[in-house]
Amino acid sequence: MASLWRGEKRWVLAMTLVCFALGGLLAVHVRTQQLRGATEVGRQTSALTWLLTDTRAQLEKQKEETERLRTRVAEYEEEAASEKGLIRLMMDERRNSRIALGLLPVQGPGVELILDDSTMRTGGELGGQDFFVVHDIYLLQVENELWAAGAEAVSLNGHRLISDSAITCSARLIKVNDVSISNPFVFLAIGNRDNLTSALNIRGGILDQLRVLEFQVKLTPKDEIVIPPVAIATKYEYAQPVTKEAEP
Amino acid sequence: MIALPLIALLVGFLIVYPLSPGIAPALGDYVAIAVVAGFDALVGALRSRLEHRFDEAVFLSGFFANMVLAASLAYFGDRIGVDLYLAVVVALGIRIFTNLGRVRALLVTARLETRRTRSAPVSR
Repeated sequence: MASLWRGEKRWVLAMTLVCFALGGLLAVHVRTQQLRGATEVGRQTSALTWLLTDTRAQLEKQKEETERLRTRVAEYEEEAASEKGLIRLMMDERRNSRIALGLLPVQGPGVELILDDSTMRTGGELGGQDFFVVHDIYLLQVENELWAAGAEAVSLNGHRLISDSAITCSARLIKVNDVSISNPFVFLAIGNRDNLTSALNIRGGILDQLRVLEFQVKLTPKDEIVIPPVAIATKYEYAQPVTKEAEP
Repeated sequence: MIALPLIALLVGFLIVYPLSPGIAPALGDYVAIAVVAGFDALVGALRSRLEHRFDEAVFLSGFFANMVLAASLAYFGDRIGVDLYLAVVVALGIRIFTNLGRVRALLVTARLETRRTRSAPVSR
């Protein structure tokens, strides 16, 4: 009985020692896991918040600048319009350029096109839901079709599309000129209504393909469409007009 | 007497928990695997005790050596780009399960034997 008791005691002692060490190790581990969760989420959130505030401030500043320049140009124009002849001609030229650059809000007849995700849901045989949502590439194809059909001004969800407009997709978000937009996607285009409508509806064209997949497509010709100006004017940093000396 | 190790586990946890600053997340995985190795040693000790072949020198050396070995193996696996971490977890997991099953079987047998002989103690 005594030897058994001694054996028992040593066993308990060893177990106690080990359990103590294990408890400590467990504490370190739990602590580490907590720390890991906290820092990762915290770091990401603060970085994103910082990015958002920064971008917003920048956008605000640039909008102000655009507004300031716009009013100044209007003043110049008023002054200049009072004169005749050559200046008048130059003013017309300027007007066209400014429409092309998207600096002026424009109005006229055209079409409205509303695009939304497919009502079809994946039953499995066709793969993922990816097939049934509007992708940036569809919007690009529509835009291209509109220009090809002679549209004079185009906007997408209120963003004027001009020569340097980009429709991109990052992390499942569609962006126009770096501003995120979401469905429904509304195109407004000014131009010959019949030409625009028939070009978009062409057999085998982009709308035709989307309709087969049951995307929600609504195309309406309109008498009067107003398209807003661009939020931020194009800046030319690299492209310069070719001068006489530089020509080969 | 059986409560002492459990109390020690709790005390160890409570002492270290407020003190520990937590360690670098990259090393966190190795601590985790060391904890699993420690539990394996614990369960193994319980089994050998019930089988009457417990030796504290084997137990203590095994406890610390296995923790270090398991963590080193995982580390080595990370260095050479092979998930040895998983191999360690699976091997230890299987061992813990087998040992726990054996412990249960031994306890049940001991109990049945006690009932049959009435007066005999649970552990001989």
